[in-house]
Amino acid sequence: MSFDERFDVIVIGAGHAGCEAASAAARMGAQTALVTLNLDLIGQMSCNPAVGGIAKGHIVREIDALGGIMGRVIDRTGIQFRLLNRSRGPAVQAPRAQADRSLYRIEMRHTLEATPNLHLRQGLVIDFIVVDGCIRGVELQDTRRLSADAVVVATGTFLNGLVHTGRRTYTAGRAGEPASIELAERLKLLGFPVGRLKTGTPPRLDGRTIDWSLFEPQPADERPVPFSFQTESIAQPQIMCYIGYTNEHVHDAIRANITESPLYSGQIKGIGPRYCPSIEDKVVKFPEKNRHQLFLEPEGHNTTEVYLNGFSTSMPAEFQQELVHKIEGLEEARIIRPGYAIEYDFVDPRELTPYLQTQRIKGLYFAGQINGTTGYEEAACQGLMAGINAALFVQKREGFRLNRDESYIGVLIDDLITHGVDEPYRMFTSRAEHRLSLRHDTADARLTPYGYEFGLLGDQEWEAFNNRRERVTHLRSALENTRFKKTESTYHSLCQTLGMDLGDSISLAQLSQRPNVDIALIREHLPLELRSCALAQLETALADILYTGYVETQRNNQERIYHHDGLRIPESLNYQGISGLSHEMVERLERVNPATFGQARRIPGMTPAAISLLLVHLQLSSTV
Amino acid sequence: MNFVRSVCGISAVPVSDTIVALSTPPGRSGIGVIRLSGAHTLALVRRLLRKDQFAPAANRAILQTIIDPESGEALDRALVTYFQAPHSFTGEDVIELSCHGSPVLLLHVVDALLLLGARAADPGEFTLRALAHGRINLSQAEAIRDLIDAQTDSAVRQAAKQLGGEFSARLQPIKQALLDIIVPLESSLEFVEDDLPDITLARIGEQLSNLIQRLDALAATFRSGRLLKEGLKVALVGRPNVGKSSVFNRLLQSERAIVTDIPGTTRDSLSELLSIEGVPILLTDTAGVRPSDDPIESIGIERTRRAMTDADLIVVVLDGAQPLTLEDDYILAEARKNKYLIALNKSDLQTFRLSNLDGSDAVGCLAISAKTGAGLDDFRRALLKPFMENRIQETGLLVTNARHYDLLRRAADSLRSSKHLLESRVSEDLLLIGFYDALRFLGEITGETTPEDVLSQIFATFCIGK
Repeated sequence: MSFDERFDVIVIGAGHAGCEAASAAARMGAQTALVTLNLDLIGQMSCNPAVGGIAKGHIVREIDALGGIMGRVIDRTGIQFRLLNRSRGPAVQAPRAQADRSLYRIEMRHTLEATPNLHLRQGLVIDFIVVDGCIRGVELQDTRRLSADAVVVATGTFLNGLVHTGRRTYTAGRAGEPASIELAERLKLLGFPVGRLKTGTPPRLDGRTIDWSLFEPQPADERPVPFSFQTESIAQPQIMCYIGYTNEHVHDAIRANITESPLYSGQIKGIGPRYCPSIEDKVVKFPEKNRHQLFLEPEGHNTTEVYLNGFSTSMPAEFQQELVHKIEGLEEARIIRPGYAIEYDFVDPRELTPYLQTQRIKGLYFAGQINGTTGYEEAACQGLMAGINAALFVQKREGFRLNRDESYIGVLIDDLITHGVDEPYRMFTSRAEHRLSLRHDTADARLTPYGYEFGLLGDQEWEAFNNRRERVTHLRSALENTRFKKTESTYHSLCQTLGMDLGDSISLAQLSQRPNVDIALIREHLPLELRSCALAQLETALADILYTGYVETQRNNQERIYHHDGLRIPESLNYQGISGLSHEMVERLERVNPATFGQARRIPGMTPAAISLLLVHLQLSSTV
Repeated sequence: MNFVRSVCGISAVPVSDTIVALSTPPGRSGIGVIRLSGAHTLALVRRLLRKDQFAPAANRAILQTIIDPESGEALDRALVTYFQAPHSFTGEDVIELSCHGSPVLLLHVVDALLLLGARAADPGEFTLRALAHGRINLSQAEAIRDLIDAQTDSAVRQAAKQLGGEFSARLQPIKQALLDIIVPLESSLEFVEDDLPDITLARIGEQLSNLIQRLDALAATFRSGRLLKEGLKVALVGRPNVGKSSVFNRLLQSERAIVTDIPGTTRDSLSELLSIEGVPILLTDTAGVRPSDDPIESIGIERTRRAMTDADLIVVVLDGAQPLTLEDDYILAEARKNKYLIALNKSDLQTFRLSNLDGSDAVGCLAISAKTGAGLDDFRRALLKPFMENRIQETGLLVTNARHYDLLRRAADSLRSSKHLLESRVSEDLLLIGFYDALRFLGEITGETTPEDVLSQIFATFCIGK
């Protein structure tokens, strides 16, 4: 077979999943080609120009802790950093940053171009080359043939993409970019179960036509919390975002013209995400709400384009303009790009192994929206895991997976391959049963040892990590061991400052858990040599202390249920041969084909009796 | 074979909580064995016996007094056998309590242990622990697997389904009320940038108190459910020689009472426990009521009157082969003061007639023959029928219900700890731990609530989507 070029790993698509996949595989030593339709749109943010948020921010920090690139790139290009849920418990806090859309793209391309073993190629992949059930390479539209033993497909919304604006539909991967039609057909021919999902995006406005005085400003944090554990400080100047509202006039107009929406005319068949509804959906499903919140998010330092967050729509373009004019402050606003809905193909992720490899074709990996997820962060973490595993695969090393109790990434992949999806899957902290142990600030403690092991983090980063952990440990013991007794003057001044009784004696750790105790007060009372510690490290130490008891209790409570989760199920297991398992249970197990007992236990509809039987069977067969 | 290492792989830590279950079949028997397994077994039994220093030699049965942890009264004298880890069935510390075989008593002892902190064992859990510790070999385990298979037998499964179904239905509103607390809290954490209604902590406190109250009340119905808890007291009454003792023996399926043709043979009340469809019944055979000069017989008759007052159900036994006598009328009049059932005995005799007595206020009137056993099955069912309306789910398997009770109590306790946290104003993520624990405990009865279910409720309730 003749090939134009030979690589170890090929990544199709240079979005958030593809960039991570290619970067990781290349840095693990695999000669890696990243094939994209348009080199100028690497790392494009198709929807809102922002990274992070609750649970998503957690994922970005995990990506960074493993040695991925998203965190570093957003830290260099973020123009409004905010730590969400600051007043809540540390486990549900997470960073979010508004990005300069074009800077992000440039920085991402720069990062990839600076990566050894990574080769950018522009072109449209139209075919997989498969020999004896193994992937051997891909063919491009321009007739080039590239060979590789591992291929990562990260095609986003491009697979059979169909854009809707009003009644007009056209094939596209994003507005103005061609869809990937041949590849979608090829996947179907290879026997992959393909479904249809939908997502949408709001119109972009010309900032010069907005009356900003009528919106409520939303400033960036004074002390930005970066995503990357390597970032010392945020250099980008920070901008203001603005909050506004729709009104009854907007809602009435939408109601009166609802049949113009392809969502309600029956034109769109794909399923959209419930947590990211279009404005049409909001108005129809929540008729009692007389206003919906909007966010005006500037797209960057060097553009006047503004993203109208909360107003996703697929109404006809001229009607979108009419609606925008009904919003207070947007009476004169002009739309630069109309919003639209897009339908695209995804493959049932239950096809995948825990390593994101397809069961059907050896060496073929899927990452991102092709697996039914939504979100840059969700895509990026799958790209990272697929890239790592593709490199491990060509290097004939054992695959890499993360557990549910050590990362959101583990939760995400396990959910996907166990349950499949029936709407675009987004991460929420409530999906993680070990939420308290998966804090964003402990992502490094949980995952950095893996990143270092794979060579995705260098010695310098490893040393910084160890120093950081050491200082946190130090702080923790100082907090626990610094006590104030009734006989000391500090004790009385504390009582006075806080206006409360502190018992016979109190440690700094105990003090920190009293209501209304400020972190500055804690710092002031640390041993002298620790008072200059980094605030983030002090916060981590305090959060560790706050959660210790709860995490332990929770672990004990869950132990009974999760105790056997790691037990592997042999691929050859014949469920029909387990006496007592009902036909229905056998069917469910066969459909999911779980790799571990934990996965089997979480299959919806499994009865406790069936779970017990399976467990006994597994334990028996592994003792023979 | 190193089972623990090879099988449990990542986490070979033994499960640390201590489980309890009745190991002998529910119902009346000579003895009933209650088994405990887990690290805290000995500590729990020490508290059950109120003997801090109790240090039994392994593998030896010792006679001990079991004390009700609530009332401090002696419950039973039982043989206690201690099997020290790892030389036990499960490989953990195990204690077997061989108690007297009354279902009521056994339930009470299991309850006491739950109250002291044991957890009701899941089906097959002792076996699983034995497997996990490598204590049983392949053939033994296969035999036990068959036992678990038996639990999925259609009959048992059907019964469990019905019981579970009814109970689930009763729990559903409680679970929904819990979700009504979780959903706004969770959405306020997940969708911090969305325009959601404010949550007032005071309101959550109210909702929680209400929920805890409902769970406690439900748990209390189990504790006080008399059918299951104390059993049913049934008194057999009638004039002499109508065959009360024969009916008594027939129900017990043993020659317990002396039966002769001589009227007044039964001088004293005689009580025995039997089980009908799993419900314990204390059946009392009474001395026949008639005017008598015999002092002993008179005392017996006095006792009969007392038994009639105490009984949950009076069975008036009449001789259906003879016309009603004044004595019969007198007894019927006495019985009418309570719930009563008429048994027309001797249906095997040719002279037997279904008499036209006025039994309209009786809960039933059945023709039986203590001699041949005719009509006895219907008669057994008729004994339970007046009590079945509201409490049907409590007549099921002993352990199932103990488990439910245990889970209800744990759910309430989880909520109580969250309520406590709420009062000390901790963050929502910590409050939610108790809520999810409670949801999981209830889920073990009604079926699991998944994170997806919670999210669905969020999206159905609030307009989410920045």
